[in-house]
Amino acid sequence: MKLGVRIWILIIVLFLALLSIAPWKTFDSGILIKSVEINSSAFDQGLRQGQIIKSIDGKKVDTIGDFSEIIGEKNFSSNVKTIIATDQGEFILFSDATPEITVSELPKSNLKTGLDLSGGSRAFVKAKDKDLSSSEISDLISVVSNRLNVYGIADIKISPISDSPVGGNNFMLVEIAGATPQDLENLIAQQGKFEAKIDNATVFIGGERDIASVCRGDQTCARVERPQKIQGGYAAKFSFEITLSADAAKKHAEITGNLSINSSNPQYLSGTLDLYVDDNLQSSLLISKDLKGRVTTQVAVSGSGTGITEEEAVNAAEDEMHKLQTILITGSLPYKLEIVKLDTISPNLGKEFTKNIIILGIIVFIIISLVLFVKYRKIKITLSVIMTMFSEAFITLGIAALISWNLDAPSIAGIIAGMGTGVNDQIVIIDESVSNKQISMKERIKKALFIIFGAFFTIIVAMLPLFWAGAGLLKGFALTTIIGITVGVLITRPAFADIIRKTSE
Amino acid sequence: MARVRFPAGAYQNKMTEENKQATGEIKTKGFKFNYDKHYKILLLIPVLLLIISLVYLGFFYYNNKNFIHRDVSLSGGTSITINGEINQELLESGLKGKFPDVSFTKLEDISSRKEIALIVESSAPSEELKSEIESILGYELTEENSSTEFTGAVLSHGFYRQLVTALIISFVLMSVVIFILFRTFIPSIAVIFAVFADIMIPLAVIDFFGIKLSAAGIAAFLMLIGYSVDTDILLTSRALRSKEETLNKRIFRAFKTGILMTLTALAAILPAFFLVTGLPDSFRQIFLILALGLSADILNTWLTNAGIIKWYCEKKGIN
Repeated sequence: MKLGVRIWILIIVLFLALLSIAPWKTFDSGILIKSVEINSSAFDQGLRQGQIIKSIDGKKVDTIGDFSEIIGEKNFSSNVKTIIATDQGEFILFSDATPEITVSELPKSNLKTGLDLSGGSRAFVKAKDKDLSSSEISDLISVVSNRLNVYGIADIKISPISDSPVGGNNFMLVEIAGATPQDLENLIAQQGKFEAKIDNATVFIGGERDIASVCRGDQTCARVERPQKIQGGYAAKFSFEITLSADAAKKHAEITGNLSINSSNPQYLSGTLDLYVDDNLQSSLLISKDLKGRVTTQVAVSGSGTGITEEEAVNAAEDEMHKLQTILITGSLPYKLEIVKLDTISPNLGKEFTKNIIILGIIVFIIISLVLFVKYRKIKITLSVIMTMFSEAFITLGIAALISWNLDAPSIAGIIAGMGTGVNDQIVIIDESVSNKQISMKERIKKALFIIFGAFFTIIVAMLPLFWAGAGLLKGFALTTIIGITVGVLITRPAFADIIRKTSE
Repeated sequence: MARVRFPAGAYQNKMTEENKQATGEIKTKGFKFNYDKHYKILLLIPVLLLIISLVYLGFFYYNNKNFIHRDVSLSGGTSITINGEINQELLESGLKGKFPDVSFTKLEDISSRKEIALIVESSAPSEELKSEIESILGYELTEENSSTEFTGAVLSHGFYRQLVTALIISFVLMSVVIFILFRTFIPSIAVIFAVFADIMIPLAVIDFFGIKLSAAGIAAFLMLIGYSVDTDILLTSRALRSKEETLNKRIFRAFKTGILMTLTALAAILPAFFLVTGLPDSFRQIFLILALGLSADILNTWLTNAGIIKWYCEKKGIN
């Protein structure tokens, strides 16, 4: 039997969908570099995000487990040599610390799952008591993404969204795949206005205007001290050095020049350097008398963290230090922010959901096949319906992979619902084609297509409003349904009609 | 060649079936006879159902100041999903005092039937609910063992308003498409009326069982508009356009095709819905609403819409 043009189109599109999904990526070996700390030795040697690590020191790396095992066994004392082989060549590091990179498993295909299935967090952020214009939102986005980058969170996506096509509220949508950092809420929404004041006069503020550099990740100038026992637990002190810009240093000299010597504590000056974060006093530092009127660029910033155990206290101090360093580098946000929606989805439950959805899909497939077989009693008709149903779902997935759409639960519900309309339409085609021999087959298929296109346009217009309503959280449902039924009417159902016509002529 | 030709065989089967009808098969004849005589009364059954639904929705609105129970994604509040087997009674007794509106849903694994998670919902802010649960369970909730979703009240009310607006826009657009397709007033109105009933009846059922609608649930109603309309289009186009058979035969043939479409969809959705409980709530609600809507659609299409179109065709002499 000669295959018609429409059937050929279906075969070609199926092949393209397969290329787009690329399921063979399951067999790729190695692990993916998610982020590389800027200015670390790994970065200097040329390791970059997106490279795939194949082996370390000649040992094969296939899983994250392999990676941490190999790195864990190495004792990074002084200038330890590490050979990292990637898909883009070999890199040799000499370092006294573990390489500052984060890694993840390679994706198994080009299909991406949404937060509700893969885990991660999502925050809707708006300015407090103020409606932001879309340009103000994009300013905000650049500050926040800079802050999250400096903090070291990989895999973030920050985008502006609006809840209506015209004149709606503008939000900033922050999405983080995988592990959620502790205290994400503060990290995003804390305005982070850092001010250092002496006797209520501002000496310097956070951000690159006043701060030339901030010491991080270097034990000699940024460290957490041994925790001390306090009532109800432990407190750990941290301190790190910052370098002021020339202007800020001059200001420091002017202000300290007016201070007198502390009468009760003659080692120090009478005023203190008070550090404020968002107008809350973070800590007050005594100023050594040597600094009076001196143009100094080196200032140590300190604070503390508390916890029930020693370890908790150290962790809290480290987190606090990290956050303070971040806001000192990136400066404050232009607005006071408010998180209006915050979802943190556990990756573990998502795996369970994904498994159940796949099983559900298989059950639906089997039931539909059985019903059709019982009705028509023809293996061939049943098989071609199943083939068409499968093709529609597969091509929809292919398009989703092509446009990097994150498939969340509503998107998958949309694919299944789309398959349902597909089956309906094929039933119409079969019933029209086997009925009423007084008119020609061509005429009958044409009639079937009228019904199919009528239903097609109603579904499209019915789903359209979902693209903006509810801030687009249900966009996936509308998108996959529309892709599915469009693929259906343009590609798979014409091919199916052809198959039915060919087999009955 | 014989194998290739089997749909022709299907056609043969069909013809013998039709012949049987023509030569007076009792069952089919009985159906036709009854239908001819009583279709105007049959037409009233779904209409009555719709009126009951609307009255119920009216009372519901009077009592609750809203047409639906909204879940936290539409009314504001927190939903915490705790992984693993969780003692619900313990949590319930511990949380009821402080959070009177707290509610629980269990998620089960499809094959082992083991409980995989418990969802706790309340209008309280996430930190309060979380710390209370932590003190009852005696361990910390982290992103390893739980998921937390919080929606602020203002945002969720906005979501709700937008989704209801979307539903109305969707309905209007669908009506426009139907008018363009058929270009005649009464048949178009009959289709639109059937779709309206397809939305209202499930809505009343959901309210009756006290189910809380999520954003995805409302999206399912939009889907339902598109989904339920295809049988009406099938019916109307066959009734109005094929002039080769009698009107009753055309309607009956449309019915045989359409009911297969709807039953296939239901046969797929219903068992799946009851079997697979370990799914995201959004997912389950979409299928529940589609199933209710499709069930209502059987009555609304094949009693109301079919009755009106038959009446119309008889009046206009489209036999």
